[in-house]
Amino acid sequence: MVAIVTTRQCFLAAALGVGLAIAGQVIAAPIISSLPTLNVNEARAELGKRLFFDKRVSGDVGISCATCHEPENGYANKDALSKGYPGNKHFRNAPGLINTAHKKVWMHDGRIGTSLNDVTREMITEDYIMNMDMRIMQERFKQDPVYVKMFKAAGLGEPSNGGVRKAIPEYLKTLTSHGAPFDKGTMSVSAKRGLKLFKGKAGCIACHNGPVFTDGKAYNTGVKENFDVWLDPQRHQAFIAYAAFMGIQNYMNLKRDPGAHVQKHVADGSGMGKFITPSLRELKYTAPYMHNGMSKTLADVVAFYNRGGDNDRNKDARMKPLALSKAERKDLVAFLLALSGEPLTGSKYVWQEPYPAEYPVIANWLNVPN
Amino acid sequence: MGSFNKAPILFLVTTVMTMATFTFAMGDKPPASASKVSISTAPATATQPQVKTFAKVADPSIPPLAALGPPPVPADNLMSDAKVALGKLLYFDPRLGGDASVSCATCHEPEQGWSFAEGISRGYPGTVHWRGSQSVMNSAYYGKLFAVGSTPSLESQAPSAARGGVAGNGENDIMEARLRLIPDYVNRFNDVFGEPWPTINNAWKAIAAFERTLVQRDTPVDKYLLGDKTALDNQQLRGKALYEGKARCIVCHNGAFTTNEKYYNIGVPRSTRWEEDGLSQVTFRFEQYAKGTTEEMYRNIKDDAGLYYRNKNKWSMGKFRVPTLRYTKYTAPYMRQGQFYTLEEVIDFYDRGGFDEEGRTTSFLETKTPLIKKLSLTDEEKEDLLTFIEALSGDEILMDKPRLPPYQSLFTRAELQTAQAKK
Repeated sequence: MVAIVTTRQCFLAAALGVGLAIAGQVIAAPIISSLPTLNVNEARAELGKRLFFDKRVSGDVGISCATCHEPENGYANKDALSKGYPGNKHFRNAPGLINTAHKKVWMHDGRIGTSLNDVTREMITEDYIMNMDMRIMQERFKQDPVYVKMFKAAGLGEPSNGGVRKAIPEYLKTLTSHGAPFDKGTMSVSAKRGLKLFKGKAGCIACHNGPVFTDGKAYNTGVKENFDVWLDPQRHQAFIAYAAFMGIQNYMNLKRDPGAHVQKHVADGSGMGKFITPSLRELKYTAPYMHNGMSKTLADVVAFYNRGGDNDRNKDARMKPLALSKAERKDLVAFLLALSGEPLTGSKYVWQEPYPAEYPVIANWLNVPN
Repeated sequence: MGSFNKAPILFLVTTVMTMATFTFAMGDKPPASASKVSISTAPATATQPQVKTFAKVADPSIPPLAALGPPPVPADNLMSDAKVALGKLLYFDPRLGGDASVSCATCHEPEQGWSFAEGISRGYPGTVHWRGSQSVMNSAYYGKLFAVGSTPSLESQAPSAARGGVAGNGENDIMEARLRLIPDYVNRFNDVFGEPWPTINNAWKAIAAFERTLVQRDTPVDKYLLGDKTALDNQQLRGKALYEGKARCIVCHNGAFTTNEKYYNIGVPRSTRWEEDGLSQVTFRFEQYAKGTTEEMYRNIKDDAGLYYRNKNKWSMGKFRVPTLRYTKYTAPYMRQGQFYTLEEVIDFYDRGGFDEEGRTTSFLETKTPLIKKLSLTDEEKEDLLTFIEALSGDEILMDKPRLPPYQSLFTRAELQTAQAKK
């Protein structure tokens, strides 16, 4: 509850544009800013890049990280709901990964709040995502001379699960926005008007703040369910597996995405339908939007907020109609687009060399250590 | 000689076969314990009788060959037609696997003797297995399943296979979820188990019940032992006498199921596959890692250590559970990694005292049973023995893949709209 009070005060603070003294404590107005520079271990990031695009990271070698997180789509995906592992499909939208290294909490339901090392493990091993037994993965990579060299060069010894979980996050650090008009100070007049609305009348900054434009907290904004989650048995099966694993009661009857409810399981269900505030950077590339892809365009997103979100009894009290004019909505979209930088495509970000078609035989196998 | 109803074999293994070994207790013990078996070598009669009578292996503790009775049924998984029918569907349903492409039948194919045509099983897509698929036919009689007896029942074998990383690579939660979105299964599970939703454990029970129907009890040997003296011809009877005598197969392959289910190292040489194939090398190391070997062993081992992985006892290195010889006419290739393509090769291997034709034997010499020794069978005797072993198989049992019931969404759009409105 403390967090919510604080957030509410932040919202007011933002609206007023001043700091407020709460219980003797000065709460600063939320700020938005450019991203800090991250130190990147080049050799490790290069290894992570090769891993990110390598299908051998998944159980049946059918998909890579990039299958759902496509460079040309801001490392998100054009599908409203993600592909997931062959044999099933996913029940949420694949989020963009640009700036993910700057976050402190991951997944739409915020179930991982430790590090990208853990996120990497979760993505690789979860049965409806990549379904990989990492013990097999490790042996696959020991069988690839290119990896043997790259792990060593990255200071990670021989190929290992732990090494993969270090290298992929290192690569993700390289996926940091650059060249956004907001950061360069080259915003259009319309975008500047949008920024004002963002901080003021539209109140976006209450939650979308900091250098990544997210406070990393979960809210219920009343996004409509995407019925495809239930109408497509291949999605519903993944949803059931998730809900059962997360310990949701009556999961066979569940017709809504529980979201961050999985973190605390508040008994009255008031946590149902909360989702982590997403970043607003790079939205130019990452349509459709929301945790379930229910908003196709940024205009749709702004219209959604302008009407105070959709129906949900748990909806955050601050979700109220904004009464933005058509011109104001346009300005807000212009500002959101000014948060997108250069596309992170090309060989600097994308592994472009072919992968070996098969695992080379280790010669003289009997006489060399495994 | 042996005519096999099988296409020429591609690689190596599957059915682990051991024929003549000579200890009785819990399989081989450390060398101190010597053979307790005595074979009274009766003189080969000067006159050639139609059926040569060799002295039988003389040990009253060896159960004699017998006609196969009905398989045991566990009290907590009784048989019913509806359960068997459900189990059959599930056996053939690839949705009980990681990416919904691999069913039990993928590696245990009816037309391949309910096993797999290659010596090492194909494994999950993107992998290869490291041992052969064992035949499901008659597996209902085993008390120890898998090559080293890692599970005690069909009910526990099925999930081990369906979930293994280089086998089915499925997870319980999503496999169970899939079953619940197939209305025909929901009805059938409800009917059979009386529970509202299919559960994965009940799926294994149904598959086990189906597998208990895959038995063959009318082989020529069964008929003969039940009193039809015409069921075996003279050559087969000569083979039987060798089996129970000079070739000493009976010592381990005894009783109605032709196995004492104990563990021996009979000298099967290392599969050459691991030297030749990169993907097989990947799996070989994975198995060492997954089975909890020491780092030193992981680095240095170059063969399948068998029972060792279960009890970590060095005297268990290279030992494997004695398999049945029933239905082996259809389950080539033989031994745990398909080291031998034909039963003829298997017999030659035993005749040489546990060596292949190039003189290769086990990688674990210190545990090779001293009871495997040169048999000095004549060519004629080898043929006789083969005909008897083939008589432990009846007609081939085939089965068409059933039509599988489809998925259907659990809720209607109207139900979802109602839920949305009440949110």
